[in-house]
Parts: sequence; structure tokens; C-alpha cells
Amino acid sequence: MELLTTGASLFLSPLTVFLTAAGCFLGLMIGVLPGLGPLMGIILLLPVAFHLEPVAGMGLLIAVYVGGSCGGAISAILLRIPGTPLAAATLLDGYPMARNGRAQDAIGIAISASAIGGLIGGAVLIFFSPFLAEFALSFAPPEYFAMTLLGLMAIVVVARESAVKGFITGAFGLLLATIGTDDFTNAYRFTFGTHNLYNGFHIVAIVVGLFGISEVIYQIRGGSFLTKPDIPPVRAPFRALGIVSRHVPNLVRSSLLGSTFGALPGAGGVISAFTAYAIAKARPKRGEVYGEGAEGGVVATESANNACCGGALIPTLSLGIPGDGSTAVLMAALFLLGFFPGPELFEYNADVAGGIFLAYMSSNLFLLVLGVVLTPVFVSVLRLRKAFLIPAVMLLSTVGVFAIQSAVFDLWVMFGFGIVGYFLRRADYPLAPIVMGAILGPICEANFRRSLLISDDGMWIFLQRPISATILAVVALLAAVIVFRAVRRSVDPERAPVV
Amino acid sequence: MRKPLTILAAAAVSTFAVAQSAMAEFPERNIEDIYPWGPGATMGVSQIIADAMGDELGVNVSVVSTPGAAGTKAFKTAMERPADGYTLFDGYVAPLVLQPLLGKADWTYKDFVPLWSGTSNAFAIVVRADEDRFDDFEGFVKYAQENPGKMRYTTGGTGNLPHMVLAKVMQTSNIVAKPVPYPEMQDGVKDLRGGVLDFLTSNPGFYKTNKDHLKVIAVLSELDAASEVYDGAPRVMDFGVDLGMSGLAPMGWNWWLVKKGTPEDVVEKLRTAMGAAVNDPEVKEKILNVGFVPLGYSPDQYDEIVAPVAEQLQSGIDAIAWEKEQLDALK
Repeated sequence: MELLTTGASLFLSPLTVFLTAAGCFLGLMIGVLPGLGPLMGIILLLPVAFHLEPVAGMGLLIAVYVGGSCGGAISAILLRIPGTPLAAATLLDGYPMARNGRAQDAIGIAISASAIGGLIGGAVLIFFSPFLAEFALSFAPPEYFAMTLLGLMAIVVVARESAVKGFITGAFGLLLATIGTDDFTNAYRFTFGTHNLYNGFHIVAIVVGLFGISEVIYQIRGGSFLTKPDIPPVRAPFRALGIVSRHVPNLVRSSLLGSTFGALPGAGGVISAFTAYAIAKARPKRGEVYGEGAEGGVVATESANNACCGGALIPTLSLGIPGDGSTAVLMAALFLLGFFPGPELFEYNADVAGGIFLAYMSSNLFLLVLGVVLTPVFVSVLRLRKAFLIPAVMLLSTVGVFAIQSAVFDLWVMFGFGIVGYFLRRADYPLAPIVMGAILGPICEANFRRSLLISDDGMWIFLQRPISATILAVVALLAAVIVFRAVRRSVDPERAPVV
Repeated sequence: MRKPLTILAAAAVSTFAVAQSAMAEFPERNIEDIYPWGPGATMGVSQIIADAMGDELGVNVSVVSTPGAAGTKAFKTAMERPADGYTLFDGYVAPLVLQPLLGKADWTYKDFVPLWSGTSNAFAIVVRADEDRFDDFEGFVKYAQENPGKMRYTTGGTGNLPHMVLAKVMQTSNIVAKPVPYPEMQDGVKDLRGGVLDFLTSNPGFYKTNKDHLKVIAVLSELDAASEVYDGAPRVMDFGVDLGMSGLAPMGWNWWLVKKGTPEDVVEKLRTAMGAAVNDPEVKEKILNVGFVPLGYSPDQYDEIVAPVAEQLQSGIDAIAWEKEQLDALK
């Protein structure tokens, strides 16, 4: 707490508070645009931050990080286009909610859960930083490998349509992850002689294509381009807070999960969102059907996402080890503003560290207010006739994906995956496992190979380390339960629930 | 009659537009610096230069992260763009010199038009601060000789510049250890601190952020300035080890470039703007604060500085082959 009081002197200047609010607004807007996520937002505003006082500059960037991590949910809910890969899990129930006429509630829940999850993540950041930082250090390649296996198990749960189809699309995602340059041998894998594939397909192009472009094709095939959708006017959904309060255990569990995953460098928000979703789905509230517009699904994914931001700041600020691309740029910004993360920051520049913590907490409060106030504006998008909405979505998707690397190739990837996504959806194959496979694949493979390199006893390394062995035991148990239920279902379809 | 008139009017308008465009002053729009690595502190340093350059030119110079294939993806991406000065190569030594030497790229450093050099960063062998098996480089060598192939280390990617420099040092000292690749160096730093790795080659950024937890065994450069970045830590040559590389050869550095065929007046404008940017004391100070050293080499020094680097790096490539042979023999 002393840290916060020290930091208040730097944070509580009108300019810093204003910039934090402005950053949150900009982050939300950037996150809403398909393709542009928090990372792009931070990079865009980095030059502005250089010219500001340290806490004001970091406040601006952290607010963009927080707003951007939530903004993607809005387009996921309204248009079935995750603005960022982070929101790929949110559309599983967010979009069905919107289709059921509850877009306002879905956005309200997403923003409230994000903000509260972010605040819980902030509390974890403030009170448990040293402990979680030490915990992160005990996570070595065998533990990361085991954890990614656990994440891959979530595919079965996420795959609403069918576990087998989920495995198929998950394996497709894993195959996609093998494309690019092998980090261990520098060999090119499936690059077919084009440098565009040296780093594989860009995950954002895959996500926007699979979900966004496939949805556009669906909408075009649906016709009725000039029919005005009958969407009643909406007001700021303050009641969303009430709805979220009905999901407190889910909210707290998902937020803590998000903070923990965030604290592990490289694990990231996507895994935490899908894992939180899988757990929430396994423990549904009465009457909730996941995949068809369950409030709990949106609560789980969004609270985990934003709590992950707080978690990811833990190794970044405490160890000087950023957890993902966004925090790597945040750390670079801190460097350029003349401060070095690590214990020294807390010891010698406690005011700056405290100011950064306050900026993070305030960003989440601003997110709540701005998100709720702006919800009617976001929902008004649904009132557009298809003749306007479809070209607008195409334009935003194209601009967003092109902006990542200024590469036309990414646009072809997006359109290609759009077509793949369309046909997969028509055949009832779930798309989310592709994203999970593509994201978890490289982490899983690299850590498996790295584990074997550091091992003196081959595969035994996975069982010799307690954390890795425990996670693998959980994976084995889950696999056994899934197989058991599948067998029981095939014997007696009436009794066994769908996994 | 109406149609020919319309065509005439359209022709007049387009001729005017073309003439306007030909007369227009460079730059008319934003410039992109194609940066070959993922986002992080090093990208931030390029951003400092880009911002200062943008101030001089009156347009925004954005740094576009295009990682892949040890930097060659960025080079190939920039090569596909027109030679109009709106695309700059953030010419890091790996894609500019090293990858061609390894046969992974079909260009040489002579195929580009240089602007100014950017920054350099020296590498250092670091271990955990509480490491008690050895205290200094001599102890480190002795321990490694007694335990051949047992120690684990990372230099980030495999076959990269720090790997070459370290392999050269190990070859000279007749020691061999097991390299473990970590494409994201921060993961390697985490695993060093977590006890999985025994040592690694750090850059100044990682050293500064983890200073209290790391101990520098030796700086991999002959330059005094490099030692200063690591708080006066000894250089390998202080222990009588001949690195076999001098000047920029054992260090990470970048030189901003444009494509051949870029109009001379455009090149001149870019050189003037970048010269002003990298020589600005405020820019220099910002770069130094991050632990990088501004180089300040002008475009006409390009050949003189880069040519020896290309020659010397071959010995590093040979050292990696030697290391592989030694490790295979130990299996």
C-alpha cells in the first residue's frame, strides 16, 4: 500500500489522469477494429509516450493495453469478428447472445467482467508480485510443455459441436503452427520457397479470416441486404454489473486463473481465456447452455483476458521479463523513459512503480465507465443494413490485417482462411480449436524439444520435476475422463452428457 | 462532341496530376523502417531514431516489426517495395552480413545504399549472481573443461551472431557446452535465473534489467566502451583470450539502408535527416540510457566498416561447426 501512496503523487496530476482515460478510450477503439489489438495500439502511441513524464507516458500505454485487450470482445459479440485473437473465446457465447437479441447485455457483461477481472488482476499484481514472480521462475520448459498439453485438452470442452471434430480442427491448427522457420535448426518448414511464410501465417490474419470473413460469406449468402434490422434503441447497460454479480465464483476463479497464466511469460491471454471458458463450461449454472449464449461464458473469457494483463505486468515489472509482445513494448517504453524494470524499480523508483500500478487500476475503472457509456454506440452498428455493414466489415478487416506488417500476403491469408472457415462451419466443425492449436503449437513443440535438450535422462525429465509431473497427471486424468464419457455415451447415449 | 471533350478534360487533369506528382517534394507520405525482429527494447531504440528522423523530414517514420528467418524476411519484404525512399531497411548485421555468409540469403552488403549507422550492442557472458562454482572467467573455463558438454547455455537463436562469438571463445579456450535455443531471449534469461541454464550471452538491455541477479564473467568485445556498458566488467582479452574478431565484428549493430536505384536526391534527403537525428545529443543520450551505443558512422564509411566484419565472421561460423563436432563426439 505504501507503494500506492508514494505513486499517487505522480499519478494524480490532471494530465496523467486524462491521458489514462484517453488511452483507455483509444485502446477500446483500436481493439474493436478487426486485426488491431493492444500491441498495435501501444506501438502506435509509443512515440507520443516518449515525450511525456514517465508515469503519464506509461499510464497512456497501459490504458491502451487494458482497453485494447477488452475492445476485441465488442466486435466478437456484435459481428462474430474477434477484434483480437484474445477475443476468439468470447464469441463462443457472446455472439449467440447478440443473435438472441441480448447484444447490449453481452457487451455490458464483457466490459464489466473485463474491468472487474482487470481490477482483481491488479490486486494480484500489487499484493502477490514477489510470490508469483518466483513461481514464474520455477516454470521451465517441461512445465510449459505440460501446461500447453493441458491447454490443448480444453479443445475438447470448447468444441461444442463434437469432440472428434474439435480434435480434427485442433490438429489442423497444430499443423499450421509448424509452418515457418524452425527455431532449433533454422530450417524452413512448409514455406514453399516464399519468404512470406518464413515466420508462418500471422495469427491475426488467421483469426480475422476464420471468424470474420467466413461470417461475411454467411451474411452474403443470407441475402436481405436492404432490410433494416429491427433493433430497439438501447441505453447504457448498467444492469450488466448486476448480471455479472450473479457469476461471482466464475468471475473470481477466471480472474485468478488469468492473473496466474499472465504471470507465466509466454502463456498469454488466449490460453487463459480458453481455459477459463472450459472450466466455466464444465460447471454451468442452472439453465445455462454454453455455446448458445451463456452469460457465464462471456464472464469467464473476458475476466480472464483482462486479469491476464495485470498478471503479465508481474514478470515484466518484477523480473524485467515480458510475458508477451505487448508487455515487451511496455518494457521498452519504460527503458526509453529512463527506468529499468526489476526489483530496483521498486527500491529506487517506488513512486514510478506505484504510479504505474495506479495507472493500471484506474485504466480498469475508466474501462468500466467508458465501456458502459459507449455500449449504445457500439450496439447501433447492428442497426446498419447488410448492404452497408458487410462492406464496412470487409474494409475494416482489410485495413486492420494489412496494418500489422504492411503485407498484402496477410490479406490473402485472411481471405483464404475465410473460405476455409466458411466450409468448416457449414460442415459443423468448430473454429476455435484451430486458433488454440495455432497458438499453443509452437509453445508446445519448442518446449518439448528444449526439455529434451536440457534433459540428461531423455523423457524422464517430464516426470522428475514435481510441477511438470503434477500437470501431466491432471492431463492424463482429464484424458481418461473424456475417453470414459465418450465410451459411455456410445453405449448409452441417453445418460452421458456431451463433454 | 460531349464525349471527346470529357476525355480531353480528363487527360488534362491527369497530366496536371502527374506533373504535380513529379514536382512534389519528397517525402509526401509516411516512411516505413522494416525492422527484422519482434517488438522489444531493441525496436524501441530504432523508434528513437525513427522519431528524430521523422521530425527532420516532417513525416512520420514508423518502425514495422517483420520478424522471421533470422531477419531475412524483413529484408525480402523491403526488397519487394519500390526504390522510392519510402521503405528503409533496418540493416541488422544478421540479415545484412551473416545470413549471406551462411548461404541463407542471396545478397551482400554491397547491394544496398547506406544511410547512417544506427547503434551497437556488445554481448557478455553472464551467470547467476549467486553462482558459486566459479568466480571469474578463468574459473568458468576450468569448470567447463572438467565437465565437457555438461553446462547448458543460450545465445537466443541457434547459429546467430552471439552464438558465433561465444563458440569462438569456447573453441579458443577448448571448452564445450550444450546450446539450448530460445527464440525469445527473455525466456532464456528466465531459465538462467530459474537454474535451468548455466550461462548465456546477454545484451545490455537484459543486463540492465536483471543486473542484481546476474554476474558478468566476460565482455565479448575488445572495446573499452563495451566494458563500460557492463559496469566495467573485464573483457575476454583481459584473460588472454584472443577473440579473433575486432571492431564491430563480435557485436550486434545496424546500419539503415535503402534499395539500390533510389533517386539520389531522395537518398541525400534521407541521409541528411538521419545524420541530424543520430548526431542529436538528446537522441544519443536516450540510446545510451537503454544500454546501446550510438555508432555515428557516416554513409561514406560503410564499406570501410562493414567489409572487415564480413571477413571476420567466417571464423565464428567455423567455430559453431567445431562445437557441433565436439558435442557429437561426446554423445
